[in-house]
Amino acid sequence: MTPSFPMLDPLVYAYVPAARTNESIKNDLAAHCQDILKSHIGHKTEVNHTQLMDLVKRRLLQLSPNGSSVTKFSNLIMRLEDQQVLSRKQEAILFLFTLSSLSTQQATSIPIPILSQPSPTKLIADTAPSDSSASKLESTQPNAARLAKFRAQRGVPHLNESLLVRDTLYLLQGISGKYARFAISQTNEKTLIFSTDPKAVVTPPTQALIHRLAELGYLYSRIDSFVRERENAPGVGMIEQSLCHYLQTQLTEYYRLIAVLETQLSSTRTNDASVMGEETGLSLRRLDVWVNEWRLRMRMMSICVEGAKDSHGGALVNLIHSYTDNGDPFVRKFTHELLEEVSRPFFATLHKWLFSGELYDPFEEFFVTADSSLGHIPYVHPSSLPGGISQLSGDAIFENSNPDSEDISGLRENGKKSWETKYRFRKDMLPLFVGEAFGKKIFSTGKSLNFIRYSCLDSDWVVTREKMSNNGGSLLYGDIAGLERSIDTAYQLASHRLFEVFIDKFKLLDHLSALKNFLLLGHGDFTDQLMETLAPSLARPANTLYRHNLTANLETAIRSSSAQKDSVDVLRRLDARILEYSHGEIGWDVFTLEYKVNDPIDTVLDHEAMEKYLKLFKHLWQMKRIQRALDKGWMRVTGDARNFIHLPELESEWHKVRIVMAEMIHFIRQLEAYCRLEVIECSWKILIDFLNKKEGDLDALIEAHRTYLDRTIKKVHLWHSRPGKEEVLLRQLMEIFGYILQFREAMDNFYNYCLSRSAFKDQAMDAERGVYTGSSKGEVVDSEDALPGLLDRVKEYGTAFSDRVQTLVHHLQVHPDLDCRFLGIRLSFSDFYRPKKELHAGAKS
Amino acid sequence: MSTKESERNSSAQQTLDILYEISELLNTQLDRATLAKCVAMIENGVNPEALAAVVQELRREGAHSTADNAGHVR
Repeated sequence: MTPSFPMLDPLVYAYVPAARTNESIKNDLAAHCQDILKSHIGHKTEVNHTQLMDLVKRRLLQLSPNGSSVTKFSNLIMRLEDQQVLSRKQEAILFLFTLSSLSTQQATSIPIPILSQPSPTKLIADTAPSDSSASKLESTQPNAARLAKFRAQRGVPHLNESLLVRDTLYLLQGISGKYARFAISQTNEKTLIFSTDPKAVVTPPTQALIHRLAELGYLYSRIDSFVRERENAPGVGMIEQSLCHYLQTQLTEYYRLIAVLETQLSSTRTNDASVMGEETGLSLRRLDVWVNEWRLRMRMMSICVEGAKDSHGGALVNLIHSYTDNGDPFVRKFTHELLEEVSRPFFATLHKWLFSGELYDPFEEFFVTADSSLGHIPYVHPSSLPGGISQLSGDAIFENSNPDSEDISGLRENGKKSWETKYRFRKDMLPLFVGEAFGKKIFSTGKSLNFIRYSCLDSDWVVTREKMSNNGGSLLYGDIAGLERSIDTAYQLASHRLFEVFIDKFKLLDHLSALKNFLLLGHGDFTDQLMETLAPSLARPANTLYRHNLTANLETAIRSSSAQKDSVDVLRRLDARILEYSHGEIGWDVFTLEYKVNDPIDTVLDHEAMEKYLKLFKHLWQMKRIQRALDKGWMRVTGDARNFIHLPELESEWHKVRIVMAEMIHFIRQLEAYCRLEVIECSWKILIDFLNKKEGDLDALIEAHRTYLDRTIKKVHLWHSRPGKEEVLLRQLMEIFGYILQFREAMDNFYNYCLSRSAFKDQAMDAERGVYTGSSKGEVVDSEDALPGLLDRVKEYGTAFSDRVQTLVHHLQVHPDLDCRFLGIRLSFSDFYRPKKELHAGAKS
Repeated sequence: MSTKESERNSSAQQTLDILYEISELLNTQLDRATLAKCVAMIENGVNPEALAAVVQELRREGAHSTADNAGHVR
C-alpha cells in the first residue's frame, strides 16, 4: 500500500457504513479501490484546460438546457483561479466532471426506456439511483416515465411496443410474429400464443389488444384459404366464382392498408431517436383504430365464406341477402355491395331465361332446373353460336316433321310432358329479394318462351323479343323495382304471346268447341242423325260391329247435319271407335266418338283430359239413347197404340203406361236440360271468359281447362262431395236408366201383344164379315195367358222407376252442390216426389 | 503566523465552497466532507478519473450492503 492513499479508509467508511464494523469488508474494499486507482483509467487522457471547460459546459447544458448554470460555472471557475490553495485545480474539476458523467449516465437512462434501442436488455439492473437525483427526475418527467421507472424497479421489463407493432402487422396477415404467434390447438382452432421470454413480458392489457388485432389475421387466413381452395377446385359455380372475385378484391384492398401501415411503421423507426415519444408514431392502439372498419368487413366476409361452404348458387345469394336487413348502415352497405357483385351471374342467367327462354346454368345454380332425361336441352349459350337458335329450331322441325309411326303415341304425350317436367322450380334456390310470386312468374315466363320456341316452333318471335330486350339494359340487384317491372313486362308479353299462339296459330278455341259440339253432344242435329243411323247396329252384340261401318255412319251423320260446315281440320280429327269389349256387351256399351289432338295442343288437351271427355261422352250418349228410346216409345204409346189397337178393355192399362212414360220423359228431359244448360254451358262460359281475358300463363290455361272439365264431369255425374258417397247418385241414375230401358222393352212386348190381339180381333171381325184374312188361333190362346205377366212386368218396372227417382230426388234435395239441388227441385217441381210416408198417406186417403 | 494560518484556512474553505458549488452544478451527489477528502487525494497526486471510478464503485457497494442489511438480518 503506497502512502499516496491514506485517505481511502474514510472514504470507504463514508459510503459503506458496514465497513466500520467489519474489518474484512473494509480491507476488501480498500484493496479493490487501490486496484482501481493503480489501474490505467484516465492515464492517457491528458486534457488541457479549455478542452475540459468545454466538456463540462456541454455536460451542464445537457443537465439543464437553460444556460444559467453554464454562466454560473464560468463564474465559479474564475473565482477558483484566484485561489492559491490548490495546486491541481484542473484535476479536481476533471474528477468532478467524470463523476458526474459516470453517475448521470445511469440516472438519465432510467426515465425514458422506450426511447432507447429496442433491446430487452437495455434496461439497467441498477435500481438504486441516489435519492436526490431520483426526486429531481420525478419532478421533471411525465407520469409515463414514472410508471416506466416503477416497472423497471419491479424488475419485470416490458417488451418494447414497436416490436409488438411489427409483430401485429404480421399477425394481421395471418403470419406468426416473433413474440406472438399462431398455434393450432387440438380442436383445430387457431390460438394466439405469446412468447415467454423471461427478459421481457407482454402485459395482459397489451395481450388483449393484440388478441383483438389478431382476430383480423385469423379471419384473413380463413378467407384467403377459401379463395385459394375455390381457385383450384373444378366445378365451382359462377355465383361462388364471383363471390371469390369480390373477396379477392377486398383482400387486395386489405393488403393496401397493411402496406400503408407498414410504411408508417418504418418511417417511425428511422426517426426513432428524435421523434420517438412524440405523437406521430404507430402504436398498437392506433393500429386498432386503423383496422377497426376492416374488422367488421372481415367478419362479414368470413360469415359469407362460412355460408358458402354448405350452400350453393341461389341459396348462397339468399344467405348474403339475409344480412342486408341489418340496422348497421355499414353492414348493410357492405352486404349490398357484395350482393351486387355476387348476384351478377345470377342476373345474367335470369336475363337469358327471361328474355330468350334459354336456361344457361352449367352449375345448376339457378332456381330453375332442366330435366335432363328429356334431352334436347342445349347447354350451349345460344348467342355464342352464330345462328344458334334457328339451327336448333331447325332440328326441332326436323324431329317433328318425321314422326315415326311408333312414335305417335309418344308424341301425343310429349307436349304436356315437356311443359310440365322439362323445367322444374326449386324454391330453395330462389333469391329472397325476388320473392316467390315473382319467382313463379320468372319461371313461367322462361318456360313459356322455351315452349313457344321449341314446341310451337315460333323461334322468330323469341329471337326478336330477345333482341328488343337486349336494348333495354341489363338486370341488376341494385334496381329491384326495375327488375320487377321487367319481369312483369316479360311475363305479360310471353304469356300473351303464348295465348296468341295457342288461339290463333293452333286454334285452341276451335278444338275446344269441336270437343264440346261432338263429344259433349253440342250439335243436336248431328247427334240425332248419328243416333238414327247407328241405333240399329248398336243394338247388336259388340263383336258384330265393324269400325269401317261406324266411320261410314259417322260420315253420313256429318254430311247430313250442320256439322259439315265445320272446318276440315276439325272433322278430320273426329273418329268413331269401338272400345275394348267383353262377352255379352252390345254396341251401345262400346261405341265412342274420338277426337284426336296433336302437338302442341295436347299440352292443354292432354291424355287425361281426353279420357274425361270420353267419359262424359259415354254418359251423355247413354242419356241420349234413353231419350231416343223414350221418344220412340212415346210415339208408339200415343200414336200407334191409339191408331192400331182397338182393345177397350186394355185402355186403362195403356193409360197407366202413358202416365209412367210421361214421368220418364219428364225425368230425362229435365236431366238433359240440366246437363246442357247448368253444367256444360255454364262451365263453358267460365272457360271462354278466361280465354278472352288472356291473363296468366300456360299453366293457368291448363288449369282453367281442367277446372272446366272437372266441373262438368262432377255435375253431370251428380258427384257427391262426401267421401265414400261420390258415386251413389250416379249408380242410382244408372239403375234408373236400366229400368227405363227395361220398361221400354216390357212396354214393347205389351204393345206387340195388344197389336196381335187387335189383329186377331180384326181378323175375327173380318171373318164375321166374311173376309178371310188368315188364321192364327193358337197364338191368341197363348197370348191370353201371357197378358197378366206382361202387365205385371210393365207395372213392376214402372214402380221401380218411380221409387228410384223418388230416392234420387230425395238425395238431390240435400245435395251439397246447389246446381244438383236445383235439379232435384226441377224434377219434383210440383212436389210430385214427396217423401214416401206422405205419398203413402196420400195414396190411402 | 496564526493570521497566515487562518488566512490559508479561509482560502481553503473558499476553494472548497467553489468546488462544492461546481459539484452541485454537475450533479455529482458528493457531500462536502467527501469532496474535501477527494480533493486532498487529488492534491496528493491521485489520478482524478480513477478516483471517480473508485467513488462510483464504493457507492454501488454501499447501496448493495444496505440492501443486504435491509434484506436479511445479520
